[in-house]
Amino acid sequence: MVSAQSAEVGGPTRRRPPLPVKLVIAGGFGVGKTTTVGSISEISPLTTEADMTSAAAGIDDASKVPGKRTTTVAMDFGCITIDESLKLYLFGTPGQDRFGFMWDDLAIGAIGALVIVDSRRLDDCYPAVDYFERLGLPFVVAVNRFDGAVAHDLPSIRWALAVDDAVPLMTFDARDKLSVRDALLVVLDRALAKARAAQTER
Amino acid sequence: MTKDKTPTERTAGALVRPFLSGPSDGAGGAGGARGSRGADDRADAPVPDGALRPFLLTAGRVAGQDSIAIETQVVTTDSGRTAVDQLGFERRDIVSLCGNPLSVAEIAAQLSLHLGVVRVLVGDLSADGHLSVYLPNADASTDVDTLLRVIRGLRAIG
Repeated sequence: MVSAQSAEVGGPTRRRPPLPVKLVIAGGFGVGKTTTVGSISEISPLTTEADMTSAAAGIDDASKVPGKRTTTVAMDFGCITIDESLKLYLFGTPGQDRFGFMWDDLAIGAIGALVIVDSRRLDDCYPAVDYFERLGLPFVVAVNRFDGAVAHDLPSIRWALAVDDAVPLMTFDARDKLSVRDALLVVLDRALAKARAAQTER
Repeated sequence: MTKDKTPTERTAGALVRPFLSGPSDGAGGAGGARGSRGADDRADAPVPDGALRPFLLTAGRVAGQDSIAIETQVVTTDSGRTAVDQLGFERRDIVSLCGNPLSVAEIAAQLSLHLGVVRVLVGDLSADGHLSVYLPNADASTDVDTLLRVIRGLRAIG
């Protein structure tokens, strides 16, 4: 039986499941997505395989494969129990930077996204930034401080990424639980501001 | 997100586990060797042409993929607990696993199954009354009160 989360429990079950909400952790290959999830998740990051629709980009020359195709990829995720009736899932986008980022499955219904950037390889995060901009999902760009160093200052990075001034840009340490927590809170602030604005319009 | 699942006719498909003859990353599958590895580790793993298609488990059906989000919570019902011994392979594994609520993503990870396969099987088991499926509230992610709860919960992490 399939019941909406708000409906009564349809069958005799042991206990009512928590309401799940999710947040996307995106970025290029090797920027620290799994580390980020692992730093704050209450379970060790789990990996599952899923299909991703790729609009063959970059290395996968689109001229050879017209249209979309599906690729099986591995995806890491973790979770945080907010309270007994609310659970936050963190889904890391697959690490393959050679695929165009088109994972609606992850992003639709998400609170927002944390786009992780390696300041030495800025272009790796372009697909994620483009994607979330198009989708209108609140997102924050977080530069992972590898060994405390960032190759460029934040204004230069903002210029290079050409993200709107309203999009928060910050540095963080993927290995540090509190630093990850603070980065997630910035995403939540963005999402809250958007939700409040929508509420006012109504 | 549509709620209706198409009760596609069930054909007696061969029950072959994809990971038994899967790609070269560890023959055993069932031990969950895959589950412990990070996605990034496998970024460049080629997808072999000869790999057994995971949807053999579902007799080729991919229906229901869109209706069950990855964070959807699944719980075994009394009916499922009673029927568990009559179910085969992956279906039994799923029903056994979900005594406490689990997300579709967690089921896939813990059983080393393809996410899309789990979606179809969960849809079947739910249609048979063995599982309760709680579709996530689509508005939760834009609900001010829910967001405030998440913020409070994150701030409490120290």
